[in-house]
Amino acid sequence: MNFPQNLSIEEAFALAEAEAKLKQALQEMQQRFDSAVLPNRYNEDWRFGQPKKYAGALAEQFAANTTNNGSVSISAPQNVSAERISAEDADLKETLMLMPTIGSDALLGMHIKRFGCGCCIMLEPDTVIDTPITITYEVSEGLYTPCTFIMAGAGAKATIIEKHICHHGATIFCTRNIHVAQGADIAVELQEAGAEQTRAFNITNIQNLGGKVRHLTGYTGHSWVREETVAEIYSAEEGTEIKLYSANKLSGNAFLDQHTRQIHHVGGAGSDLLYKNVVDDHATAIFAGNIYVAEGAHHTDAYQSNRNMLLSENATIHSLPGLEILADKVKCSHGSASAPMDEEQLFYLCSRGISRRDAQLLVAEGFLTDVRERFQSRTETS
Amino acid sequence: MDESTFQIDTRGEFSFPENHRFDAGFGLTEATIDYICDAKGEPDWVRQFRKDALKRFHEMPMPTHWAPEGIKDLDFDKIRYYLAHGTAPYKSWEDVPDDVKRTFERLGVPEQERAFLAGVDAQYDSETAYNSMREELSKQGVIFVNSTEGLREYEHIFRPWFGKVIPVNDNKFSALNHAAFSGGSFIYVPKGVKLTQPLQAYFRINSESMGQFERTLIIADEGAELMYMEGCTAPKYDTATLHSGVVELVALKGAKIQYVTVQNWATNVYNLVIQRGLAMEDAEIRWIDCNIGSGLTMKYPAVVLKGRRARGEVVSISLAHDGQLQDTGARMIHAAPETTSNIVAKSISIGKGRASYRGEVNVLKGMPGCKNNTECDALLINANSRTDTYPAISVHGNASAVQHEASVSQVDEEMLFYMQQRGLTRAQAMSLAVNGFINDLVKEFPMEYSVELRRLIDLEMEDSIG
Repeated sequence: MNFPQNLSIEEAFALAEAEAKLKQALQEMQQRFDSAVLPNRYNEDWRFGQPKKYAGALAEQFAANTTNNGSVSISAPQNVSAERISAEDADLKETLMLMPTIGSDALLGMHIKRFGCGCCIMLEPDTVIDTPITITYEVSEGLYTPCTFIMAGAGAKATIIEKHICHHGATIFCTRNIHVAQGADIAVELQEAGAEQTRAFNITNIQNLGGKVRHLTGYTGHSWVREETVAEIYSAEEGTEIKLYSANKLSGNAFLDQHTRQIHHVGGAGSDLLYKNVVDDHATAIFAGNIYVAEGAHHTDAYQSNRNMLLSENATIHSLPGLEILADKVKCSHGSASAPMDEEQLFYLCSRGISRRDAQLLVAEGFLTDVRERFQSRTETS
Repeated sequence: MDESTFQIDTRGEFSFPENHRFDAGFGLTEATIDYICDAKGEPDWVRQFRKDALKRFHEMPMPTHWAPEGIKDLDFDKIRYYLAHGTAPYKSWEDVPDDVKRTFERLGVPEQERAFLAGVDAQYDSETAYNSMREELSKQGVIFVNSTEGLREYEHIFRPWFGKVIPVNDNKFSALNHAAFSGGSFIYVPKGVKLTQPLQAYFRINSESMGQFERTLIIADEGAELMYMEGCTAPKYDTATLHSGVVELVALKGAKIQYVTVQNWATNVYNLVIQRGLAMEDAEIRWIDCNIGSGLTMKYPAVVLKGRRARGEVVSISLAHDGQLQDTGARMIHAAPETTSNIVAKSISIGKGRASYRGEVNVLKGMPGCKNNTECDALLINANSRTDTYPAISVHGNASAVQHEASVSQVDEEMLFYMQQRGLTRAQAMSLAVNGFINDLVKEFPMEYSVELRRLIDLEMEDSIG
């Protein structure tokens, strides 16, 4: 073990102890991957998600594609450390190994075996970036498995846009670790553009140690998407919050499978979630969320809302909003609503000379824009 | 009666030493089934039916991938599958200890019902209070018998629907019940007959005690209306560790069925009940359900809305105390156009109790004009109480509206302070607040049940404020 110089004995002991703990945790995690089985129909986190069909196909792709076929480009101001990662970044790989999933440990294990591409963004304390930092992952064929790490120091403020461009027939499997220190204010947007026969899998872990985090995802064009987002709050600091947003318009045979966890390890903080879908043609949208308030995490304020607009008689939605409350004095609620488009709104637009098809597009747009606006308004969060 | 073996505690729980004429012993095998069939004198097709179900029961897996953890502790070999005391009275009201009588009094259980609950039901058939009512029922053509008699005497009426709403293969516990059922009620209400008085298990002729594996089948013919009250307001067995009933309701065109349960089993009971109703065109089925007792309850009353404009409703109250898990909920399957359903569930968690709502709403493909509304409210009394909500909503197609809301709250300190200032003790204030929380649902229960329910809650609250 290499200890930094000039440490007191106590500090050295504490460091050694922390390293031993980490080593043990990593061993446990390795066991988790070793014992994990591919999602099957008894995996409740894949309820409605057709695990045999989709998880099976993904595992086959992992077996068939041993190299990464994608590319990464980063655009960031000079005062930000934004670097491509390589297979040698052991500490980042450790972070990845400790990452929680929602029923997909086996797949994350396969992802980690291919570790070595992606991007790491470090924001020094009190850095304030006005223009968004952009990361672009592009894949033209086969399977691409990048990892993104975002570490925001105390008081840092920034917006990060992660763009995925997936060409015909390609698959992207991306993990995202977001660590936010006290007083930081970070917005992360995931823009996912796919083509026919493309698949996307995103696992995100947000660890909030006392800042504000806003997270927005949006998917267009993919044939299959699975998203697992675990947002964890570790600080009782006033103003600590996580807001999760997603807005999607699905058409064709698109299949969107979204899973979220809002985990309040300590009390006093807030979390909010708003996921909206417009589902057309033969498309299917699944939302399964859960708010978990740990024992003793009193005075938590958590909300979760899933809204779906169904446009076709062949469209399907499955909504599973969940609550697990082990603490007292909490304000927690969730809501889920699914309905067709409001005929009155359509009539209003049609009576002004807009065709029914255009009117439908407008109403759908308005329905989803609300999510984007909430994500963008920083004032609303304060 | 030997008073030393009798136990009672402050929460309205009590138990008796047992004395049964028939006892099939522990574990479930073909021999157990033969024993049950012989004891009941059942026809051969029922015997075969039970044995087929037993095979399915052994083949099917436990639903451990989604069910609460507690179910893993269930040991099927340590359970007695058939207990009956025959037709002779084995206990008289005078034998019932004063403590129990007092509990009944505090609960406000009606005089006649007290005797039944205390296990003196065999006497009960001669009670004049219900004779006139029985006559009235048979004059109207209503059939109201126990499951054995139903399948033996009225096979042509009950067999076509028996096991149709809840098939053997539905799940492991359904197969278990099909193999070991005893007790319960079989009811047929003829076309257009509207019963003004609720039917209750305890004034059935030759009443066989409500067993652990009771089987109820209620058929309301076209335009008929009835309300059924399940009388398990108090525990009946002290060694019974598994209660796995099956209740099937069939509401034909335009019929209305209301099914009321107040469950207060002892906390050593696993209460795993399957309740499902089939509602045809313009029919209405309402489940009014209250769970206060048992260690683990898993109960999700369901309505399959099979006919156009059918309506389903579940009103549910559950209260989980220390060591209890109330995993309750509702299922609504919209299998016809223009069907509507409503679910209102309220739960209260006290101490280390855990109350969960688990529900399913499914609007099938090509069923326009369906509507569902679901509301779940949870009240947490102590800092270590737990509550969960796990709904699953599936909507196929763009012509239905479904909404779900759930919230979690606690008793407002200010409210308690206000009441304490006016001279109530903290327990009384808490009790009042809890009763206020469920007040609008309690109104849905029949009069005597709502009185009893309130008192039960008062009793439950008494030892929860520390």
